[in-house]
Amino acid sequence: MIALFVILIPLAFAVVTGLTGTRRSLAVLFGLVSTLATFALALFLPGSSGVSVPWIPGFGATFTLQPGGAGVVLTLVAALTMIPTVLVAARRVERAPGVFVALLLVMQAGLAGVFLAGDLILFYVAWEVTLIPSLLLLGMFGRDKRRAAVLKYLVYAIGGSFLMLISILAIKPLSGAASYRFADLMAATPHLAGATQVWLFVGLAIGMAVKLPMWPLHSWLIDFNEQNHPSGAADVAGTLYKVGAFGFFAWAMPLLPIGVERVGPVLLALAVVTALYGALAATAQTDIKRLLAYASLSHMGIVGVGIFGLHLAGLNGAIFLLAAQMLSTGGLFLISGMLYERRHSFDLDKFGGLAKSAPALSALSLFVLFTAIGVPGLANFPGEFLSLLGTYQQHPWLAALATLSVIAAGVYGVNFFQRLYQGEEREPTREIGALETFALIPLIAGILWLGLSPAPQLQRIQEQSKLIAAPTATAEAPAPPPAALAVQAGPGALADALGGSR
Amino acid sequence: MSFPPAIDIHWANFAPELTLLITAAITTLFALFQRDGRSSAWLAMVGAVVAGAFNANLWVMHATSGAGSSFGLRFLADTPGLALNFVILLGTLLAVLVSYDYLKRSDLDQPEYYPLILFSATGAMIMAGAGDLITLLLGLEIMSLPVYVLSAWRMGARQSEEAGMKYFLLGAFGSAILIYGAALTYGATGSFVYADIVAALSATGFAAPLLATLGGALVLAGLGFKAAIAPFHQWAPDVYTGAPTSVTTFMSVVVKTAAFAALIRIAATIYPSMEPWLLTTLAVLVGLTLVIGNLAALLQTGVKRMLAYSAVAHAGYLGLAVLAGPDGVRAVAWYLAAYTLMNVGAFAVLMQVSDANDRGDDLERFAGLGKRRPALAFAMTLFMLSLGGIPPLAGFAGKILVFQAAISAGYVALAVIGILTSVVALVYYFRVITYMYFREPEYELAGFRSSAAAFAIGIAAVGTVLFGLFPGWWYGLLGTGQHLLAHM
Repeated sequence: MIALFVILIPLAFAVVTGLTGTRRSLAVLFGLVSTLATFALALFLPGSSGVSVPWIPGFGATFTLQPGGAGVVLTLVAALTMIPTVLVAARRVERAPGVFVALLLVMQAGLAGVFLAGDLILFYVAWEVTLIPSLLLLGMFGRDKRRAAVLKYLVYAIGGSFLMLISILAIKPLSGAASYRFADLMAATPHLAGATQVWLFVGLAIGMAVKLPMWPLHSWLIDFNEQNHPSGAADVAGTLYKVGAFGFFAWAMPLLPIGVERVGPVLLALAVVTALYGALAATAQTDIKRLLAYASLSHMGIVGVGIFGLHLAGLNGAIFLLAAQMLSTGGLFLISGMLYERRHSFDLDKFGGLAKSAPALSALSLFVLFTAIGVPGLANFPGEFLSLLGTYQQHPWLAALATLSVIAAGVYGVNFFQRLYQGEEREPTREIGALETFALIPLIAGILWLGLSPAPQLQRIQEQSKLIAAPTATAEAPAPPPAALAVQAGPGALADALGGSR
Repeated sequence: MSFPPAIDIHWANFAPELTLLITAAITTLFALFQRDGRSSAWLAMVGAVVAGAFNANLWVMHATSGAGSSFGLRFLADTPGLALNFVILLGTLLAVLVSYDYLKRSDLDQPEYYPLILFSATGAMIMAGAGDLITLLLGLEIMSLPVYVLSAWRMGARQSEEAGMKYFLLGAFGSAILIYGAALTYGATGSFVYADIVAALSATGFAAPLLATLGGALVLAGLGFKAAIAPFHQWAPDVYTGAPTSVTTFMSVVVKTAAFAALIRIAATIYPSMEPWLLTTLAVLVGLTLVIGNLAALLQTGVKRMLAYSAVAHAGYLGLAVLAGPDGVRAVAWYLAAYTLMNVGAFAVLMQVSDANDRGDDLERFAGLGKRRPALAFAMTLFMLSLGGIPPLAGFAGKILVFQAAISAGYVALAVIGILTSVVALVYYFRVITYMYFREPEYELAGFRSSAAAFAIGIAAVGTVLFGLFPGWWYGLLGTGQHLLAHM
């Protein structure tokens, strides 16, 4: 039941907040109450019961929410990230902040729906529901060239998701599953013939690869981030939009094991290209938002590497990185908004030497940046490390190539920091304000929480990873004893997660 | 087998049609004395509601005691027929509501308008209940003649007169083809009644399969005109654009419902026993409709014409379920209900934005609507997204039902075409939203506000959302009672 309220609360508040229109104080109030309440509830999600009622009887669709391990972690971290995002949005958006916050809340409800859905049709519905507010945020509040960006985003997203819909519609009649519930599908779809699985998987994969995003279907992302509202709030919402990788992990891969086996290597190679391409492109950017967009793309490439390596540790790491990246990239986008406030530009050349007059802002930025480039002890590190290490077990060369992107991340990260905060100071700037500090505190707390104690979350994720990694392990090698698959909580968890799968 | 002692007229089975007919007659007489059209509108609405009550009564009766028929099996009151009666009445009611203030504003307020709408709806309901090719033809003509007149309702305006003339000529042509098809079918099987045709076709040693199938194909072509299936759709964009928008609203939902009601009944009973090339032909036409409708809509800059082509495209989506035959009946009926709500809504919003003479329907008119009329813009957003098939709105549930029907019937490639063209569709539907929210106003709005139309838009918007969120109840209702009596 908690899962239902995690969706309904933001939805209800979205309606109320949408009606407040231009009244800023109400937007702040409703936005904060909603996100805080949702986060508080989401803390009780792990282990909570699901909901399942019939929905479209003749068609086999049910309204089923099934909080699974990975979905719970992602919902929780997204709920945490949403708190500062609505605060910043409600304070910074010039006209109709209520509408902006309302769209963010609809987005949050949709995301919770995607992460918690236990029925494939419901998953698809939530997937599309999330698209509309992100389109409207871009179109209504974006910058000058937003219309072209909207069209590009729309065509990519709809093209991808409608192809996905073909596979979704076909998967039940073809497999003869009793309904679209995950458990019912899982009982039937893995037995489908190989060729059928392949084309079903390809249909799903195109839709999910667009959202991941994966090279060469990524180009909407850059314009999307560049043209969104300069506060960065809409970009954070975009960063929370992890439905592509999650879709692969929670639906496409467990349901269609033969499809994964045959198509997976191609996707793995594309993920490596994505990681490298994103990182290299990021080093060449002079626009803050474009740089962050490419960096984010590179991270998603590493997530892909972790997922398509089909190794238990890699899968755990990839989903963990997904959650961590919400905090780190989200934080960087919020910081980009703060920088824009000061210089009214995203051009890196307009900055320099900010550290002299704003040392606190500089320190906090460095902290978040360190997270993003994978410094140990902070949130991204366990995810990146496990993703690469897991895949290294089976595809050492590809994993090694992908690791180069982590080195490149160090380059663009340090370069980014230097050009912003170090060097000659052009003009004094404002030190970090109260609102900005409040906005970064939850994110930094989250980064430390995930970074210092990753084991509990990894363990939750592993409940679902086993569905993908276990069949491959048993097919190629003698089945490992069940005890070895379980990750023990505690300091040794990382090592266990690594050693456990084979 | 002995002959029945007398013709079995079961008056109760066509009480809804009769109610509408009587109301139409009263309204016509009433118009002699009361020249204000609005009182006729009230009469018409009362008539439609009473007909709805009779229809509901029939539904309850038949849910318990099995479906009814009159005149042998020539007129049927089974679940699909009754369900589509509801859809037709809903469309009629909404069309009357949106006409209420519109006619006055456009200086078209003649009291004969509403009886013509009712006559046409009567014909539509007869088509939905037809279990016989002659009944079908009668219903078709009763439905069509008033609509020809209504299309040319804007006297003196070339566009409107052209629309009426064009519709009349092509409609007559379509009817002639239908009659020829009926004649060929009769020649081959010796009967007009669907049940007897099926019996004759499936009898061993049946001699004239080609003749019968040709008849079936011509019937398909005739109905294809009314349903606006390519390549018989060519009248639709011009007539939809030229006719007064309130009439377009009525045509796009009620006439379409009636055409598909007749088509699905024939496709579910007769076609499966005919030669397979007939269904293959229909499949090709459906694919063509999907592609032509959606691509042409993409090229339009006028919203009215865009909606006209979108209506053609939706004929294609409905066609997907028609192909599934008996298994597609529920999907067709479900889709038509959802389509009626969202399409009436879209046209009603258009009426509030365009000029009194129906000009000025281009996209620029919608610029900045989100700021000026937020409620209206929000409703339009719902209708556009629903027509585009975005969940959780009615159009999405409708689409997955028809796609599912097509996939189950083995038309996977066609379903894929349907989904790919939906991507195109979303671009032109979303363009309206783009203008409403992402651009600054460019024109002064005409400032037309109608509480009757606002009420209709409200019903349509709430219905679009509720049908989308709870698709189960209507789908469940469609599964009750006895199906397709003609099949026995």
